[in-house]
Amino acid sequence: MLSVQTTGLVGLAVAENPHERLRILYTKILGVLQNIPKDAAYRKYTEQIVNQRFNLVQTETDVQKLQDKLNSGHIEEVIVQAENELSLARKMIQWKPWEPLVEEPPSDQWRWPI
Amino acid sequence: TVRPKNEVEQKQLCAFGEYVAEILPKYIQQVQVSCFNELELLIHPDGIIPVLTFLRDHTNAQFKSLADLTAVDVPSRQYRFEIVYNLLSLRFNSRIRVKTYTDELTPVDSAVSVHKAANWYEREVWDMYGVFFANHPDLRRILTDYGFEGHPFRKDFPLSGYVEV
Repeated sequence: MLSVQTTGLVGLAVAENPHERLRILYTKILGVLQNIPKDAAYRKYTEQIVNQRFNLVQTETDVQKLQDKLNSGHIEEVIVQAENELSLARKMIQWKPWEPLVEEPPSDQWRWPI
Repeated sequence: TVRPKNEVEQKQLCAFGEYVAEILPKYIQQVQVSCFNELELLIHPDGIIPVLTFLRDHTNAQFKSLADLTAVDVPSRQYRFEIVYNLLSLRFNSRIRVKTYTDELTPVDSAVSVHKAANWYEREVWDMYGVFFANHPDLRRILTDYGFEGHPFRKDFPLSGYVEV
């Protein structure tokens, strides 16, 4: 990506070697997801997304073409998104949102019109 | 004239609503899509921070922008205040509404750790309705006068107030 001087976005520096960074991030995410029960929907869908992106990153070496295939903005934005997904996966392990509903609301709570 | 119905967007929002409800069954009590294509998630108050962080960070739901944070007072209910968060996703150009409930005395988790924009909005909700936000960095009055007593937007607060000015 060194042929491009800036990303054009404020605060986002051009990433040198984005493939390596994405490879590291995606392997970390998949590792964190192993700690979630196998039948949780979050694990299923996130593994699907991450594997899909991981395959694209590994097969496509040209950065411009990779950006077009991922269809998710600049490659630096994809890196930021992967970092966010990693932090979310770590927090999900503590919150455990796949468990059944915490508490039912009172019967008139969500009725509209009253 | 009648507003034309956008069936495609309706279906997409329904599908996304089911997707989120499948991932977070612990906190989501109900999901509804209005006829004007507005998706709403109805949440248990313990799940504010998990749900907002999920919507902000997940790849399929990058709702990075908190557009609005308000409350609705329905005095006849057991939990009279309904806190409403409006989120906008710039990547997917779509909006979502997250609603929670609380009564006068139960504190609610502050969304400031997830969205910095929630700071003044939560101060406004505290000032106008009296909903206390736990872990807010600086929860004080923002719109009422310095010695003002009462919470003006509550339904039992009279229109011309208690004090003559």
